[in-house]
Amino acid sequence: MVFITADEILETVHMIRSENLDVRAVTMGISLDDCAERDPRRTAERVRAKIVRRAGRLVAVADELQEKYGVPIVNKRVAVTPIAEVAGNDDPEAYITIARAMDAAADDVGIDFIGGFSALVQKGFTRSDAALIESIPEAIGGTRRVCSSVNVASTRAGINMDAVVRMADVVLATAKQTAADGSIGCAKVVVFCNAPEDNPFMAGAMHGSGEPEVSINVAISGPGVVRNVVAAHPEASLIELADLIKRTTFKITRVGELVAREASEMLDAQMGIIDLSLAPTPAVGDSIAEILQSMGLEHPGAPGTTAALAMLNDAVKKGGTMATSSTGGLSGAFIPVSEDAAMARAAAEGALSIEKLEAMTAVCSLGLDMIVVPGDTPRNALAGVMADVMAIGMINGKTTGARLIPAYGKKAGDWVSLGGLFGEGPVMALSTSRNDAFVARGGRIPAPLQGLTN
Amino acid sequence: MRSTVIVTALGLDRHGLLARVATTIAEQNANVDDVSQTVSNGMFTMIMFVSFDQSETTMAELKEALARTGEEIGLQINVQHENIFRFMHRI
Repeated sequence: MVFITADEILETVHMIRSENLDVRAVTMGISLDDCAERDPRRTAERVRAKIVRRAGRLVAVADELQEKYGVPIVNKRVAVTPIAEVAGNDDPEAYITIARAMDAAADDVGIDFIGGFSALVQKGFTRSDAALIESIPEAIGGTRRVCSSVNVASTRAGINMDAVVRMADVVLATAKQTAADGSIGCAKVVVFCNAPEDNPFMAGAMHGSGEPEVSINVAISGPGVVRNVVAAHPEASLIELADLIKRTTFKITRVGELVAREASEMLDAQMGIIDLSLAPTPAVGDSIAEILQSMGLEHPGAPGTTAALAMLNDAVKKGGTMATSSTGGLSGAFIPVSEDAAMARAAAEGALSIEKLEAMTAVCSLGLDMIVVPGDTPRNALAGVMADVMAIGMINGKTTGARLIPAYGKKAGDWVSLGGLFGEGPVMALSTSRNDAFVARGGRIPAPLQGLTN
Repeated sequence: MRSTVIVTALGLDRHGLLARVATTIAEQNANVDDVSQTVSNGMFTMIMFVSFDQSETTMAELKEALARTGEEIGLQINVQHENIFRFMHRI
């Protein structure tokens, strides 16, 4: 029997009750490989039926574990096989039909988001990929819970610039399609380099081709817990601080591991991965920016921010890796702007620029995330920013993503509220230098030497 | 099947707190296996290992009863399955 000390018991209670320790998401991955039919309406019916059959108890099980352990499980979600691989159809209308079925299934099982309206096009488009991508603005604009991700680059394949440009068009069209709601649709569309197949976080969750029939992936959380431990040790050297963060994330990750083990058993699913990402929410005390501030930076964006973030991200991973043998997903600190109130404040005060965020992307995931840009941003400017983020992922052999929101009708300096966990933030200015001739070249940036590892 | 939960209670100290919590647990047909309690600067902190047979009470019923008692006597009472504590701090 494992001995538990009174201090450990009280520490656990304090982390949950006072420091926002929670499990950020329990995401069920479901293979839809067996749902393809010639008639897309029939495919949609089978997709809905399978999601409801496999995920029908997801919310009840998560709630039961929440009661049992007293740890909030904030989000219950589903990720499915990339739909472009399921539908095998070259008519965009077919994909809109399937997106509606996914939305209805998510409603049936009581989850807030469902991911996997996705395509992987890093080397080129199939006809299915092209049709799915074309359907995204209407599919996302016409549904509430569906999330879309498109992998346009990888270390092995390079950057498909044609896909980047097409996704820039898609993001602008999605912004227009959902203009009445602050262009919220763009919060549900992400462009990836090296997209993981087992990511439990939205908008990029999908159930990749190497995954089992059904899996449970768990995203840990706990920025508040890490912030408090950093703030409580203002005199600690950086090496001492790294140790403190490691010890803390070990504990956070153990909670994720416990929940993943039990949830997968109760749901007759294979235990997938624990994602070690520190993920903020707009709530005060649940912020990555506040951790950086507690480390000694006035604002995120101050000189030294990238170094501080690199240390934080590395320490989180080291502590987490000791706690579970099932690491996966994105597993890196998130640096969204609108979803992190202190980050949004720094951006509004001019302390944090898109260029600095791009540098921070080099040392963590996810990249340029939840950043509101002017609604009249030219397509090529958006494509250029996306390509820059993809290049960081490609060269460094890591996942990077871009989730940009060109808020329709808004200009730099305006304030945009996206609602709920999406938060709010300023419209951030992009460079106005032209890149049209570069983007017009098209084609693919070849795979780098880093991809030749065999 | 027998379950063990850990009950923690925190709040301002006053007479009879331990007795009230223990009485509620007994009324739920659960057993206090171990208890430790301290008062520091007027703050009362108590940890109890409580076991019960699931045919006699459930964790939800125990939680609800202790929440009511906690409200009456001004304590924040948490009831959590022991595994979270065993799991969190060690492999």
